[in-house]
Formats: sequence, structure tokens, C-alpha cells
Amino acid sequence: MAGAGGGNDIQWCFSQVKGAVDDDVAEADIISTVEFNHSGELLATGDKGGRVVIFQQEQENKTQAHSRGEYNVYSTFQSHEPEFDYLKSLEIEEKINKIRWLPQKNAAQFLLSTNDKTIKLWKISERDKRPEGYNLKEEDGRYRDPTTVTTLRVPVFRPMDLMVEASPRRIFANAHTYHINSISINSDYETYLSADDLRINLWHLEITDRSFNIVDIKPANMEELTEVITAAEFHPNSCNTFVYSSSKGTIRLCDMRASALCDRHSKLFEEPEDPSNRSFFSEIISSISDVKFSHSGRYMMTRDYLSVKIWDLNMENRPVETYQVHEYLRSKLCSLYENDCIFDKFECCWNGSDSVVMTGSYNNFFRMFDRNTKRDITLEASRENNKPRTVLKPRKVCASGKRKKDEISVDSLDFNKKILHTAWHPKENIIAVATTNNLYIFQDKMN
Amino acid sequence: MQYVGSYCSCDSWFSQWCCNICCMDSCSVAWEKRKDYAKHSCWFMLGRGLKRKLSDYEENMAGLSSAFDSSRNLTYPLKRQLVLNMCLTKLQTYRMLVEPDLHRSVLIANTVRQIQEEMRQETSQQPVNVCNGIGLHSQNYPGVDSAGISAQLLSGVNQQESNCCDSRSAEEPIENGLLMVSDDDMSSAISSILKDLDFMEDISPPTCLVPAGDDQPKSPENVGLKLEDDRQELKGAECVFGSFEISNSTSYLKDLAIDDIFEDIDTSMYDSDFCCPPLMPSRLPPATTEETLKTFPTCNSSPTNNIQICRTDLSELDHIMEILVGS
Repeated sequence: MAGAGGGNDIQWCFSQVKGAVDDDVAEADIISTVEFNHSGELLATGDKGGRVVIFQQEQENKTQAHSRGEYNVYSTFQSHEPEFDYLKSLEIEEKINKIRWLPQKNAAQFLLSTNDKTIKLWKISERDKRPEGYNLKEEDGRYRDPTTVTTLRVPVFRPMDLMVEASPRRIFANAHTYHINSISINSDYETYLSADDLRINLWHLEITDRSFNIVDIKPANMEELTEVITAAEFHPNSCNTFVYSSSKGTIRLCDMRASALCDRHSKLFEEPEDPSNRSFFSEIISSISDVKFSHSGRYMMTRDYLSVKIWDLNMENRPVETYQVHEYLRSKLCSLYENDCIFDKFECCWNGSDSVVMTGSYNNFFRMFDRNTKRDITLEASRENNKPRTVLKPRKVCASGKRKKDEISVDSLDFNKKILHTAWHPKENIIAVATTNNLYIFQDKMN
Repeated sequence: MQYVGSYCSCDSWFSQWCCNICCMDSCSVAWEKRKDYAKHSCWFMLGRGLKRKLSDYEENMAGLSSAFDSSRNLTYPLKRQLVLNMCLTKLQTYRMLVEPDLHRSVLIANTVRQIQEEMRQETSQQPVNVCNGIGLHSQNYPGVDSAGISAQLLSGVNQQESNCCDSRSAEEPIENGLLMVSDDDMSSAISSILKDLDFMEDISPPTCLVPAGDDQPKSPENVGLKLEDDRQELKGAECVFGSFEISNSTSYLKDLAIDDIFEDIDTSMYDSDFCCPPLMPSRLPPATTEETLKTFPTCNSSPTNNIQICRTDLSELDHIMEILVGS
């Protein structure tokens, strides 16, 4: 059942892999975001080419009681196109930065997708019937002369092949000067926020021609800029509360009831630096790349370059839990700085019961940390174990010294194979892990 | 590098290249993927005597950064200088982009500020004798001291070599070290950045002028080059390139007889860069830079302007070039 047992009691098995097989990765196919919807039935991915691909889980098969439904392509559409800002002579990338689903209210599904500058609300609807029996047209499609129509015929809906249509319902544009890094839907399901490097805006889903600016950290003099916003999220239950993280490793919790412009935080979460770990790169690796509230709303998780931290919202001065993702990289920071890997923005996610957290690493490894048992596991997303129900073998990186069998040394890691985006099904133990251009789906082994 | 067949650490089937110097091995798959055949730190340290361009410099930085990570023999000031140079190179690269990443630029700029602050505090506490063994006069500039750095780099080289090869004593005279490296990466770094400076001002005016109300996402605004008369004061935030404001007295080009300077220099390697020979690392690069920089008047087009346009006096440059090349 969902959430039962920790990350290590679960045996993770390969389920599916989506995407091209060849090593030559087309730039447009690079996956840039992954997100399950609220029921977990749909899984959306966005890529660098501006496309959104939605997978739908098959209904559980009665005959195969031991496996959950597979995810198959449900809809594909071009969400964003490359644009050119003529005023600044800048090209606007069509890469999808984030996708967020709205909770389902009727037969149609809605999601928000955003690139660097523009957010779009898409409606995904199914059509499996069509009206037939009109007598208004000729055989060739021309409308008949009304005077020749002598009978009233009511068309009848007849089944047709399922068609999934995606249509843009709202386009929220021209509100961000800098690059949008986050969107988050409020628990009131009427408003949402969008955050760029220096500002956060509040939108109403129905209104596209204006938004409220709720956070602005742009200094009067850009020379004084020392900190940027890296991620933002609404609290899952309190519609007035949101957090945003910064490049200096701080998280600010703001209450929109306090003032219209939430430049002054209600809470500031910051861990004092460990002097023994100080290096030239301390600030760079403290930059937070992702912040996620737990489903309960009591905790939030942040990801910086080397670790995952869990914060209790009631305690600001330090996290309650810290998990090292790849501490063996600490001695390689200069090389990672030189090849820019130190700027990689890893995301993180909670499982449905908030007992396990997951994040990605290099060499197509991803890590899970069980908060209850304090155990962790490293797994690899690779096509080598691609038989369904093959249990994944735990991996281990050897930091230094004698390398044991089956271990991988730090120097052999492939830093081009990075897992930045991962998602966990909201109710079950199904995870989606994105490598550069492939999407892997893993499930726990059901006995 | 020679081919040696043996077990690879990543378990893949091995044709294996072994570095002659340090015997560090890795499988060719990993080498290939990293594309750093030529960047192995030992190979770099030996020096290849090739003329370096900015791209070569960047490649060598890869070797240096892995040396930074793996070696304990690099002294702290040298490591710091390495990092500073990497930061400046990156900022320079970002400047060339139409739309640099604001997040990265801010992080790198903060790192540079932090290093500069540290350097400034050190030099304000005591005169730093950065040139152990070469016997140069101590220069209290918190900047790119190519002389001192090359000395330290070379002493680092020597120690690296001795650790690797066990064939030299640690007290290798610096002079031998100087001969080992036939090119000075620090001065080539300076020269390339100065070259870029020339390049920048050619295309500059639109990119430099930022009207007050404009929300330009171009973060290099806050890393603009400011060259001021008072070189001692680094204006904290703005002067990411403050390291090039070498604050020392300047007139030694005039004081020295030209013949003295160029006695034992092989000028055949000179090109039109500001590249200076390593045999005389002490004064020329900083002085040259100093002289050149002195000719750049600053200009401020508006109170909120963040990048100051630097104009060279080309005739002055020519004059200096002539001195350098020894024509």
C-alpha cells in the first residue's frame, strides 16, 4: 500500500522507459519537468522543445492483479513556441520550466505550464462521441439551400475513437522581466503564484491581464544585487502562506495577510554555516535549487547542491533533518565549478505519506531517504535493467580508498548524466525519474 | 601517456591509458566522455611550450581545477588565486552572452567579492611577501600578482613533480622551475582579459548604458569593470575586476633601463598579445597592466549606470607594445 514501509523496505522494480534509445540526444527532447496530477492517473512531462507529453495510467487489469497499470501516451501538444523579444533583441526559450496540475473539477483536466516568460493554462479534454445525422449539408460538405430542408433531424451522438484535445484557455504573459523558475497553485484553487529571479507575482486563474506583485527583491542599484529567488511554493493548506528560497541558502515564509507586498518575511529559515566545511564554493553550494512542502504542510524540504534538508515550519534556526546526497563530491568542487556542474539545479520530492524523500544525482543515480528508518538507498536509471519487475540493484559510490566490487569510484561518474527531475505518485509507490531525454517509471514490487 | 592494459576502476572493458607521470589510470570510456585527454593535471604541469589562447587557458584551467581538488600541495593563496581566475574567466564569458544567467552571475560575483575581501584583509594586516625565493620586492596589491603567483605555481609544480616522480627534492630552485614552464598562464590570462576588454569597448556603448528605470536582466551590470585613479580602494560590490586594479607605485618601467629588462629574454615567442615571458615575471605584467589601465579614463553616463565604458588611448598602447616587444 502507499507509503507503507520505508524506502528500503520497498523493493523498486523497473516498470517502463519512455523516450529515444540512441545516445545522441536531440536538444529539444531534453526533459525539463515531470509532474503527476493529483490522482496520479496522469503524468506530465515538459521538454526543452516546448512540448508537453501526458501519460495516462491504464486501468488496473483484473487478470494481472500483481502489477499496476502502465503509463501510455495520452496527449502530446506544443505548449510554448520560441519567441523573440524585439525590444531587447533576446530570444525567449520555449523550454518548459514547470508544469503544475489543477485539481480536477469536471471531466476535463487543467494544467499550468510555463517557460521563462509566459504561463499558459491548458485544458485537456476527451472526446469519444460525436454528433451524427445532420441534414444541413450536402455530400460534399456545402451547406444546403435552407429552402430545400424540409425535415427537422436531431443529430445523435455516436461513439468515436477517443480523441484527446489540448487547448490553451488562458495565457498569462508580460509580467516577468526575469526568468520564471517556479509556479505554484494556491490551495484556494483560484489563484497561483509565479516566481522569477527577483520577483513573485500573484495571479487569478481567470484574469490574464494583470497580476499582483507580492515579492520584489530587486535592489535600486543592480550592483548591490547579491541574492536571487530560486524557488517558491504555496503552503498546501493555508492559502495565505507561501515560501521562497534564495541563492544564499535561506527560505522565507511570507503571510499575504500581513501586507500587500510581502518583502518582509514572517519567518526566515537559515542554518548557520559549518565552519569546518567552509570553502571558496560554500555560497554556491548553499544555493537552494528546490523547495517543496510536505503533503501535511508541517514540514518543507529544500535541496542544495550536496544535501536535502527537512525543516519544521515551527523552527527557523536549523533543519530538523539533513541528508547528504553525494558528499563525495565535496572534494571535487573545483572541478565541478570549472565545468559548471556546480550550478545544476536538482529537484526533490516527497512520497504520498511524507515518510520518504527522493532526489537525483549524477551518473543517472537517484537517492531515497527514509525519514523513519533513517536508511537511504541509491538506485540507477538505466536501460540495462529494463525487464519489468526486475528489482533494481542498490548502487554505491566509493569516495576514496579501496574500491569494493560493484562500487563505482567518484572519478568514473558521468557528470553529463544527471537526474534533475523526479516525481512520486501521490498515493502509490510509483516514481517517475527523468534522465536527460528518457523518462523511467519504477514501481514497488507487489507480492 | 602510454597505453597499458589492465583493470579499470569503473568495471568496463579496458583499454586503459596510464599517465606516465603519476600513473593515474582510468578507463578510456571515462576519458573519452570527459574529453580531457590533454587535461590531465600532470601532463599540464609539465607544460607543453605551446602558445596559449583563451580556449587553451580554459582547458588548462580544467587541469588546474583537478589539481586543486586532488592536490594538497597547492598553497591556500594559490588555490584562492585559481578560483579567482576561474570566476573572472566565467564572468568574462558570460559578458559575451546576450543574456547571461542572473543566478550564476550573482553567485560568481559573490565568490569574487568574498575572495577579494579576504585578500584585502590579508594585505591590510601585513605586507605580503608573495615571491618567496625570487627575491622581488614585496608588492601589496590584492590583485593578480602574476609574479608571485607564477612563483607559487611553479613551487607548486615542483612539489607536485616531486610527489609524483620522487625524483626531485622539494627544495628545487625556483629558477629551474621557471624553466620548466615555458608559458605563464597568469599573464596570458591577464592578456586575454585585457584583449577582451579591447573587444568589449568596441561593441560596448549600447550594452553599457542602462537607463535607470530599465529592467535589464543583464547581470553583468554589477560586474562591470571600473578603473579608478585610486587603485587602493576596491569598491566592494562593483569591482569584480578590481583585481586588475593593481595598487602599487608604477614608474619602474621608466626607472629601469630597457636593456636591463630584456637582456636574457627570448623575444621570439612574442606575439601581439600582452603576453609576457616567464623569465621576467616580476614587473612587466603588473606594470604593463598598470600603465595600460592608467590610460583608461572612466566615464559615467548616468548615476545609475553600472558599467563604465573604458576607452583606450591607442597610441599609448602602441607605445607600450613597442617597449614590450623590445623593438
